[in-house]
Amino acid sequence: MREVVPLEKARDDSVFGSKAVGLGEAARGGLPLPPGVALSGAIVEAVASGEGKAIKKVAKSVRPLPTPLAVRSSAVDEDGAEASFAGQHLTLLNVLTPDDVTGALREIWWSANSDSAITYRQRVGLFQRPSVGVVIQSLLDPEIAGVMFTQNPINGADERMIEASWGLGEVVVAARVIPDNYRLDRSGEVLERTPGVKKIVIRTLPDGGTVEEEVAPELVEQPCLNDEQLEKLNRLASRCEQVYGPGRDIEWAIAGGELYLLQCRAVTRAGT
Amino acid sequence: MPGAPVEVLKRVPLFEDLNKREVGQVARLFKERRFADGETVAKEGAGGAAFFLIDSGEATVTLGGKPRAKLKQGDYFGEIALIDGGARSATVTASSELVCWGLTYWDFRPLVQGNPTICWKLLQVMAKRLRDAEQAP
Repeated sequence: MREVVPLEKARDDSVFGSKAVGLGEAARGGLPLPPGVALSGAIVEAVASGEGKAIKKVAKSVRPLPTPLAVRSSAVDEDGAEASFAGQHLTLLNVLTPDDVTGALREIWWSANSDSAITYRQRVGLFQRPSVGVVIQSLLDPEIAGVMFTQNPINGADERMIEASWGLGEVVVAARVIPDNYRLDRSGEVLERTPGVKKIVIRTLPDGGTVEEEVAPELVEQPCLNDEQLEKLNRLASRCEQVYGPGRDIEWAIAGGELYLLQCRAVTRAGT
Repeated sequence: MPGAPVEVLKRVPLFEDLNKREVGQVARLFKERRFADGETVAKEGAGGAAFFLIDSGEATVTLGGKPRAKLKQGDYFGEIALIDGGARSATVTASSELVCWGLTYWDFRPLVQGNPTICWKLLQVMAKRLRDAEQAP
């Protein structure tokens, strides 16, 4: 099915991939997401093949989204292999215009068909053709971003674990900084607050792509989050658990003072 | 029409004996892939995922780190790894902005299996390479 749908209509893993369907669930649950659309694997393949009709359909669907855009792969789950593909399938941040989306989709399609991706598939016995759905969302320009576990991923304790840093959350996800660490109980009371050493910030560039910059010295060890923001994060954790169930691994961002959910997955316990 | 330009494909020995309709069918299976100057296109020893035909730009072939050949528009590479599922036999690095047309394992295999003309041509290319390798000092 060559489909482009608003996120809230992404329901089928085998068509849109699990990332898109997870965000679809969030949208239907009223969680605060940047606006976006989900593309089926078939339309991504058609765009990568240069099919004019598919290219026009995607451009038309993407045009209403505020730019710049984040274009992320949403691999169609194959026997639980999604997590293993996470590092091989591409995310392109700061795609400037709907017309640039075609090139981004082509790159993402090739990331699922790269030498390393195919070798991996053959090694784990996946001989069917890869299908990669895509999520396209407005890219935020966050002041602060990070990750949050709604339960302690190491010992399973019933507490929120939050990591935060300045700018785009990629610095936290890719471990490019020592982020601030916060531990809250379920009522939102702050149990621990450990400032990190956040020397790098990733920001979007006006011409597309991203850049790493040095953080101003006075901000390196200054905590990113105040009590009010921590309370909002705690509420987001509760909402995510209502929508998805307990034990969630959340990517979030604060842009223009508003808190947004970027991604929500099941927590993978350490050592499992 | 989407896919690789038919006139470029016709210049590839692998496809030169196909009729117009057959070349058109093959062309539609190709997808454009762009590489930046200096980017690795294929790495010696790594598994191979696609057969590539150069549309524009240049690339360098190295074996064990030593330069062996230059590739330019109309040159192609990557078919051996796609046939035996083995490792890339050389490293190919873009030496300028490089635009290729790529045909993946998933499309290449049924194409060869279903087309005796391409299959025979491929055997001839392989045989020539074997002879060249045997005659090499």
